[in-house]
Amino acid sequence: MIDVGTLRQLVDWERGLISARIFADEEIYALEMERLFGRTWLFLAHESQLNKPGDFFSTFMGADPVVAVRQKDGSIKAFLNACRHRGMKVCRADEGNAKAFTCVYHGWSYDTSGRLVNVPNLEDAYFGELALPDWGLLEVAQVESWNGLVFGNFDPTAPPLVEYLGDMQFYMGPMFDRTDGGTELIGGVHKWTVSGNWKLAAEQFAGDAYHGGVSHTSATQAIADGPGVAEKLGQTANRQRRSDLGALQFSSRLGHGAGVMGRLPDDMLVQLLSASRNDLLIRYETEVALPEMEARLGRARARAFGHATLFPNFSWLPNVPSIRVWHPKGPNEFECWAWIIVDRDMPADVKEALRLQAIRLFSPGGTIEQDDGENWGHIGRNVTTSPRIRSMTLNYTMGLGHERTDDPDYPGLIGSRFYGDVPQRGFYRRWLEFLTSDGWPSMGDVDIVATAEK
Amino acid sequence: MSAMATARATQGRPPMGRARIDTDLQQDIEQFLYFEAELLDDRRYRGWYNLLAGDIRYWMPTRSNRLSREMDKEVGAPGEVAHFDEDKASLGVRVRQLETGMHWAEDPPSRTRHLVTNVRVSPSDVEAEWAVRSNFLCYRNRMDTEVDIWAGERTDTLRVNVEHGFTVAARRILLDQNVILSKNLSVFF
Repeated sequence: MIDVGTLRQLVDWERGLISARIFADEEIYALEMERLFGRTWLFLAHESQLNKPGDFFSTFMGADPVVAVRQKDGSIKAFLNACRHRGMKVCRADEGNAKAFTCVYHGWSYDTSGRLVNVPNLEDAYFGELALPDWGLLEVAQVESWNGLVFGNFDPTAPPLVEYLGDMQFYMGPMFDRTDGGTELIGGVHKWTVSGNWKLAAEQFAGDAYHGGVSHTSATQAIADGPGVAEKLGQTANRQRRSDLGALQFSSRLGHGAGVMGRLPDDMLVQLLSASRNDLLIRYETEVALPEMEARLGRARARAFGHATLFPNFSWLPNVPSIRVWHPKGPNEFECWAWIIVDRDMPADVKEALRLQAIRLFSPGGTIEQDDGENWGHIGRNVTTSPRIRSMTLNYTMGLGHERTDDPDYPGLIGSRFYGDVPQRGFYRRWLEFLTSDGWPSMGDVDIVATAEK
Repeated sequence: MSAMATARATQGRPPMGRARIDTDLQQDIEQFLYFEAELLDDRRYRGWYNLLAGDIRYWMPTRSNRLSREMDKEVGAPGEVAHFDEDKASLGVRVRQLETGMHWAEDPPSRTRHLVTNVRVSPSDVEAEWAVRSNFLCYRNRMDTEVDIWAGERTDTLRVNVEHGFTVAARRILLDQNVILSKNLSVFF
């Protein structure tokens, strides 16, 4: 097993020097499954997917298949998707409504609260001696919600969700708590595969706005070439190449990260409110959503939105709007699961415009996201096939030494440039703490929750 | 019934419930679909784009695994998440993107081969429009070792057109995958 000393050498976050081996190593992956995905709060579903008792959604926590189910009392439970008898999947549908989960192998049947309620031949073959209460589905230790987002945690000793989110809540507000009505999902999920390591996507959404101008230049150009768009963008298109115009990077001591609009001038901010520069959406965000958020959350927090990753593998993009999980499927394989999220009380035409924008930009066929697959896939190929590339030290030094924790408006460690590796270094710092700790990695007396209330 | 009458009654009759389609029409439609595939495999995207009607809806719904009694939800509904939900303008963005020379997912370009089979033509409710179902298999080889194979069915509305023979007025693409087993969908179907 890989030892703590080696891991510390591979991840020198303080100097921004990180080995490519973390994207390829089997032992590191196994350790992640146990120590990281076995302890962190992981996104399960959105409340709007589980409306009625018996509504279920099949997903994964790390590499483990789980089913999240709405209970009769309105709460949500999640179970390991495996029959206790021989380990067969008890739920083979992606989503739906069920009264019971019956294993198709031998017929053991579990109710929606996970209790084993029926075993064929219980009397004649088990001699009535099988203790049904002992053989219910294995339950995910903790399930909690935050503004419609449902998370699960395998670790019964992990701190409550709100503590885990910490200062990230400040930045989640303008994405998930925009109006009294809350959010809902458009029906359906985008699911696709990438031959690469899950952290490539997670760290990118945490802190990498830098790639946009190069990776996605074709999409940006193709959109700008549409009727009237270039004129609308005017001067701002060129200015967007600079990263010191007021947008910021945020890094949480808890591993979360984001790049947010912050103090970006209004004339630029307005154009970024819709990733496809859709007039209807820009008008709605400018005239309705932003003023409402400012009243609700205050001016600074209403502008604390942007690309983000909630440690370790739940990410979002506000102006698309997309939420997604990066499910690990081995050191060099992950699945992207993406949903389109809207405010419940948005007008129908705004919801429809957002649906189309998300499909056309951020999905496996999306003009922007297609090019991310190309990057992640070829990095994956490089690090898995080439020993020399695998032992390379990668450069995470952008903005090193220029972060501050005393920003007057924004909590956490703040980088004053929109481009930087500030959130990535924070992500890997926390990642290293999880991988090198035997139990829940505490951070001493760091008071994260207090700073979230800035 | 005489032997000859029996033969007449059982041979050359379209399958149950289907209209007899003129052989020339069937051939014209097949040739149109092959031409479309040729343009895509030759990377003549602008030429392909010109075969699309101005009011085209180009739609690839998602597919999910459902309980048997919920199979009506297996194919994503209109208004839900889809892999493609395009009009002519948004397809134009995609063609322009390919023309920038900086669309890295397709630059250097992939090698694709669109195979089209099982072409079934039916009359539609609209004059000069035909409902055409076809099966496809699209092979993509990218860079050195990357291979993707996409199989599925297309349900098209083809509209008679003076210039091109037909235009594609609607296309529903049913891809036979739940999780998309590739890193992107950077090709047209």
